[in-house]
Amino acid sequence: MVAIYNPEITCSLLHAVETQSLSKIYSNGLKAVDEISIKIEHGEIFGFLGPNGAGKSTTIMILTTLLKPTSGKAYVAGFDVVTQAKNVRQNIGYVQQDSTVDEYLTGRENLELQAKLNHIPRDTMEKRINDILEVVELADRQRESVVTYSGGMRKRLDIAGGLLHRPKVLFLDEPTLGLDIQTRYKIWDYIKKIHNEFSISIFLTTHYMEEADKLCDNISIIDHGKIKVTDSPNNLKSSLGNEVVIFEMDSEVKSENLIFEMRKIPTVKDISADGLEVTVFTTSGDQLIPQIFQRASDLGIKIESISLTKPTLDDVFLSYTGRELREDNGKYDRKKERERIRKIRA
Amino acid sequence: MMLSDTYTIFWREMKRYRKSRSGVLIRLIQPAIWIIVIGNTFASTRPLIQSVGFNGSYIEFMAPGVIMLTAIFTSIFGGVNTLWDRRYGFMNKALTSPISRSSIALGKMLAISLISALQSSLILGIAIALGVSITNLLMVIPIMLIVIAFSLGFSGISVIVAATSKSQETFWGVINFLGMPLFMLSPALFPLELLPNWLAFVAKLNPVTYSVLLIRQIMTGTIQISSVALDIAVICGFVVAMVALASYVFTREVNKPF
Repeated sequence: MVAIYNPEITCSLLHAVETQSLSKIYSNGLKAVDEISIKIEHGEIFGFLGPNGAGKSTTIMILTTLLKPTSGKAYVAGFDVVTQAKNVRQNIGYVQQDSTVDEYLTGRENLELQAKLNHIPRDTMEKRINDILEVVELADRQRESVVTYSGGMRKRLDIAGGLLHRPKVLFLDEPTLGLDIQTRYKIWDYIKKIHNEFSISIFLTTHYMEEADKLCDNISIIDHGKIKVTDSPNNLKSSLGNEVVIFEMDSEVKSENLIFEMRKIPTVKDISADGLEVTVFTTSGDQLIPQIFQRASDLGIKIESISLTKPTLDDVFLSYTGRELREDNGKYDRKKERERIRKIRA
Repeated sequence: MMLSDTYTIFWREMKRYRKSRSGVLIRLIQPAIWIIVIGNTFASTRPLIQSVGFNGSYIEFMAPGVIMLTAIFTSIFGGVNTLWDRRYGFMNKALTSPISRSSIALGKMLAISLISALQSSLILGIAIALGVSITNLLMVIPIMLIVIAFSLGFSGISVIVAATSKSQETFWGVINFLGMPLFMLSPALFPLELLPNWLAFVAKLNPVTYSVLLIRQIMTGTIQISSVALDIAVICGFVVAMVALASYVFTREVNKPF
């Protein structure tokens, strides 16, 4: 078989989303996205994680054709986001972080607006709206103004709007931000349901590691505009070792020596200390605990408490992005504040 | 496609307007005060106005001016929801859908000009109730067509200012700076013939002037073909220029990060 290799075509058709060395530098010199390359398979739920200002929103804005990249390529549903923006727009749904439904319109009117924006033919519009209202369980409230809806209901309406035109790729930007735990679980169910029912690819950003863990097939962690790692949640967790030992010391004196000593133990994958509390990632926690006591007593350190747990995605996240806070808590400074907001948006 | 997309945005803006009924009356208070208070305050200027060939009362003279006042302010304020839409994400929703950027601008402008005409027709009604005579009630139709056309041009100004402003403060600052002088520098309250030359010259550069003169001619039934042709030509030129400029500026601005 003779195959003529054309990277433009192969890359764009094989993946739901693909970026090649994608970069965005804002006019103020801020490099929000720095040479990122990602590939999302068709039908995959892909999690895009990162601290505030890491470059998540900028990436989403480029992929949804709202911003032009400074350099690099991005393809969504097989189309170039710069040269074929209109085709991209026909094939994506975008559910933004903040609710974008019109408060004074009813739930149904909001969906009608969404249908018209996306050129859904009039004859199929009614049925599509009825179907999606059933999926998100808003059929009984569809004739009421959105003003009367709770935060969770608005989010469901937003998600319904993003799905109405059966997009190939759905962008969900922080879908459960600010919702209570019950609603969050419900939204997760909806996301799984629509993923199975419409077999679409989902690009999800979130701050909640649990959310990424529950929903995503693969995740990328981005920080300072660069992709730190991409893998499945399970692989990421086991890369830290299978277990975590957390212990508390009675004083910080000599704690450095203890950590130094412990790094020599072959089963220890990583250690981080936060004041008196030390977190150890290891492949075998039960064997490590006696060794910790041994070495601590050699150095004259008393262990106040010790516990053995499994690593969470939080641990993975922190080990790739560090622990320092992203926003300084200094005095209010208008210029700095504006820059901070710009960074958050970036 | 362009037409139906424009209609989609127009439909949404009109829905929003219909749901905010309380605003309709509030926005009528100011022009109503103008027509009642200013109309009576300057009632004794009737001989002055008659000296330049206007036979009616002062209220009849200034009624077209207040109709234009309503049209100017309704349409020039109308673009402010562009800022809300950008702040609260509706704009991004529209921008990531397949509809074209200029149809978003056009849909908004058409909605603003229709709302402006509705508001102005209520003021016309108040004027008639206050005893302002109109030669033929059917003349309301051409008057409203002029208001719609004029407001389309002014909504263009509003959309341009809204698209280039990053904040509400900038928008209101610029709009208030524009609105009042445009109203004042016209024969809305006083005949051009009685203005100092330089003021009359400036007023002749103002599209509001031609709309006021045209509506005044229609209301009093003293239509002169030559001046009507000039008025219509100026208004049409203004509208075409503003619509084109507004869609261009809007399309350019929404492609930048907000």
